[in-house]
Amino acid sequence: MADFNVSSRIDGDVNLIDVKGYLDAHTAPDLENEFNKLIERKRFKVVVNFSELNYISSAGLGVFMAYVETMREQSGDIKFSNLKDDVYSIFDLLGFPVLYEFYKEEKEAIQKFR
Amino acid sequence: MKSLISKILDGNKKNKLEKFLFSIVILVLFKIFFPLINATILVLINEILIFSSLSLAFLYFVEITSTKSDNPISLTLNIGVLSAVLFFIISLSSAIFDTIENIEDVNGVIYTFSSVIITQLFILFAVYILSSFQTFYSMRQKRDKENYFNYLLIAILLSSFSGTISGIYPELQFVEKTFFFIAIVLVVFNSFRVSWIAFLTKKQKIVILLTSIIVSTLFGLNFAMFFENNIIEQIVSNFSPGVRVSYRLIMLYGNIYFGIIFFTTLFHLPTAGAFDQKSEEITSLIDLSKLMTQVLDFKELADSLTDATNKVCNSDSAWLVTIENNERSLVSVNNIGYLEAQNISDELLSEFNGQLTDIISMNKKLIKIKLKGDVRTYVFQAIIVAPLKVHGKTNGYLFAAKRQKYKFEQDEKKAVGAFADYAAIALENAKLFKESVEKERMENELEVARNIQSRILPSENPKNDRLEVDALFVPAFEVGGDYYDYFQLGNNKLGFVIADVSGKGVVASYVMAEVKGIFESLSRVIHNPKKLLIETNDILKRSLSKNSFVTALYGIIDIENGKLNFARAGHMPLLICSEGKIKEYLPKGIGLGLDFGTIFSSNIDNMEIELNNNDILMLYTDGVTESRNSANEEFGFDRLIHVFESNYNGELSNITRSIFEEVSIFSKEEQQHDDITLVLFKWKNLKKSLEKLNG
Repeated sequence: MADFNVSSRIDGDVNLIDVKGYLDAHTAPDLENEFNKLIERKRFKVVVNFSELNYISSAGLGVFMAYVETMREQSGDIKFSNLKDDVYSIFDLLGFPVLYEFYKEEKEAIQKFR
Repeated sequence: MKSLISKILDGNKKNKLEKFLFSIVILVLFKIFFPLINATILVLINEILIFSSLSLAFLYFVEITSTKSDNPISLTLNIGVLSAVLFFIISLSSAIFDTIENIEDVNGVIYTFSSVIITQLFILFAVYILSSFQTFYSMRQKRDKENYFNYLLIAILLSSFSGTISGIYPELQFVEKTFFFIAIVLVVFNSFRVSWIAFLTKKQKIVILLTSIIVSTLFGLNFAMFFENNIIEQIVSNFSPGVRVSYRLIMLYGNIYFGIIFFTTLFHLPTAGAFDQKSEEITSLIDLSKLMTQVLDFKELADSLTDATNKVCNSDSAWLVTIENNERSLVSVNNIGYLEAQNISDELLSEFNGQLTDIISMNKKLIKIKLKGDVRTYVFQAIIVAPLKVHGKTNGYLFAAKRQKYKFEQDEKKAVGAFADYAAIALENAKLFKESVEKERMENELEVARNIQSRILPSENPKNDRLEVDALFVPAFEVGGDYYDYFQLGNNKLGFVIADVSGKGVVASYVMAEVKGIFESLSRVIHNPKKLLIETNDILKRSLSKNSFVTALYGIIDIENGKLNFARAGHMPLLICSEGKIKEYLPKGIGLGLDFGTIFSSNIDNMEIELNNNDILMLYTDGVTESRNSANEEFGFDRLIHVFESNYNGELSNITRSIFEEVSIFSKEEQQHDDITLVLFKWKNLKKSLEKLNG
C-alpha cells in the first residue's frame, strides 16, 4: 500500500498537522492518533496542511467528521489548507466546503483563529 | 500331562495364590501323617511335595516382584529387609535352642507343626528373594536371555535333589557337589546382569551403593551361618534336605549379586552426573517436541525453552528475544531480571548490528549497562547467543549465560543451538496459526458482507421499450459500500438511486442495507428527490456513526416525456451524453450524514432536465474514477469521459463493457480496492421516432 505520514507542529495556540501521502482506511488510524493526542493535551485549534497529501478516501474524510464536533465544542476548529486540486475536488463533491473552512495558505487559516 | 503342567503354570495372580495355598495344605497333611521320615520313598514324596509347593510360591511371587521392575531401589530394600529378618531368626534361634542337645530326639505333633511353620516362613522368604532376583535379572534386558535364569533354577533344583539323594546314598555325594558347582557358576554368570544400574540417577546410584554393600554382607552372613551346628539348619534339613541346599544357593546368589552391584555402581558413580545430564537433555527435548504440537501459545513454550536451556546447558541464566517487524521483544526470562536481560541483549546484539546469523559463544564478557545514570557491570564467564532461524530469516535469539567458574562445553553449545531451532519453528508455527485465524475471521466477515450486498442489489434491470437500462457492479475484495436500485413509480415513472457508503466490509454493508430500506419506502411516498434525500438524511441521523457518511444521487425519470428530476447528496455528478457530447450535471448537495440540520437541507437542490431522443445517462461511483495503476495514477474522470464518448453509439451494454475493460486494463497490476458501479439509461422518444418515420 501507498505510504502515509502524519506529523505535528505548533504555532502559538494553533496546532498544525501535516499529512503526507495516501490517507485511506488503512492509514486513517495514524491520523486519529494524532487527534487523540491533541485532545489529551486540550489543544483544540487545528489546521491540517494538505500540501503533500495525494489521496484521501471516505475513511480518511471520516476522521475529520469524527473530531470536528469535539474541537468546536471547545471553541476550537479543524481548518484545512494547501489542498491540491484533485484532493480539493473530493472534498468539494461531498460538500465539505459548506461545513469546513478551506484556505489556500496555512497562514490564513492560522490567522482565522486569532 | 503337558497340558496339566501348563494349566498349573498359567492363570492369574489370584489363581496362583490359590494353587500355592492348596499345595501347602497337602504338605501340612502329609507332615502330620508322617512326622518322621525314614523310608526312601517317603523322603522322595516329601521332597516332591515341598518343591512343587515352592515352585508355585515362586510363580506367585514373581507376579508381585515384577510389578516393581522399574523401581530397583524398592526391590533392593525389600530384599534387604527379608535377608535381615532371616539373619535375625538364625542368630536368635541359635541363641535360644543352644541349650537343647539333640533336636532329633524331640518328637511329637508340636515339634512337627512348628518346624513346618518356621521352615515354610524361612523358605518362603528365600523364594521371595529368588523371585526378586528374577525381576532384577530381567530388568533393562534388551534381548531375551531369560533362559540363563531358568538354567540356574534347574541347577538349583538338581543340586537340591541330589543333596537329598546323597543323604540316603552317601556314595553319590559327588553328584551333589557337581550340581552345586554348576549352580554356583550360573549364579556368578547371572550376577553380571546389572545393566539397569546405568539408568539410575546419581542420587539413586548413591542409595544403591550403600544398600547393596549392606545387603551383600547380610547374605554372606546368612550363607556362612547355615552350617551344621545351627539349630534352624537342623530343623530345615530335617524338614527337607533338598531345601537346605537351595537356601544356601539363594543366599550365595544374593551375596555375589549385590557384591557385583556394589562394585558396578561404584564404577558408575563418577560418570553418573554426565549420564544424568544426557538423560535430562533427552527428556527435555521429548517434552519440548510434545509441547510444540500442543501449545499454540508461544509464551508458554518460550518459558519451557529457557527453563530447559538452563537445566541442560548448566547455564545460570537464559532468555529469549523475538524479532517481529524489526522490533525486538523479550518473551521469556529464566533466572535473570527482565530489565537486565533486555539491556544485555540490546548491548550484545548492537555489537553485531543485527547481523548475527550463526550461533556464537563468548568467554569472559564484561557488559556495562547504564540504568538511570547508574552504571553497572555484569561479568559473565560465558555467553551463548543462538539465532532463531526459519527459512534463512532470523526471527529471534536465545541467550544462555554462565556467571560462575566454567565455560560452555561444545555439547552444551550444541544443545543451545538445538533449543533455538525448536524455538524458531514454534515461533513460526504460532505466527502461522495466528495469521490463519485472522485470515479466516476476515474472510468469514467478508463473506457475510458480500452476501448482504448481493441480496441488496437488484437482480435484474427494468425492461421498457422506451427506456433501456444497463448496470455493472464489480465488488472489491474488501467489500465497499456501493448500492444502486430502481423503483417503479406508477406506469410511467421510474425512480433510481446510486449510493456509496463510506468505509468497507461488514459495517458498510449493514449501512447499505439500511439505506436500501429507506429508499424503498420513501420512494413510494415522496416524489421530490430533494425532499426524499433530506428525509433520508434525517432517518440516517439515528444510525450513522460520527465518522461515516453516504453519498447518493436520487432521480425520477418520466418515461413518457423524458423529464428527469434528480438531486445529489455529495455523490459523483450525473453524466448525460447527448449526440456524442457529454455534459456533467452537478447540482449542489452535501453528503448524507455530514450534517443533520439546516446546513444539509438548505444546501441541496433539485435539477430538472428534459431528455432528448437517445440521450444516455450515466451514474457511477468513485470506484471507477479512482481505480489505480501500478504507477499509482488514477483512472480519472477524463478517461471515463473519453471511453464513454467513443462508445456511445452502440448498445448500452457495449458502453459498460468498454468502460469495465478499460478500467481493468488500466489497473491490471493493482488490486481493486473499491467497488465499481455503473448504471446507464438510454431514453428513446418514441413520438419523435414515429414523427420521423411519418414525416
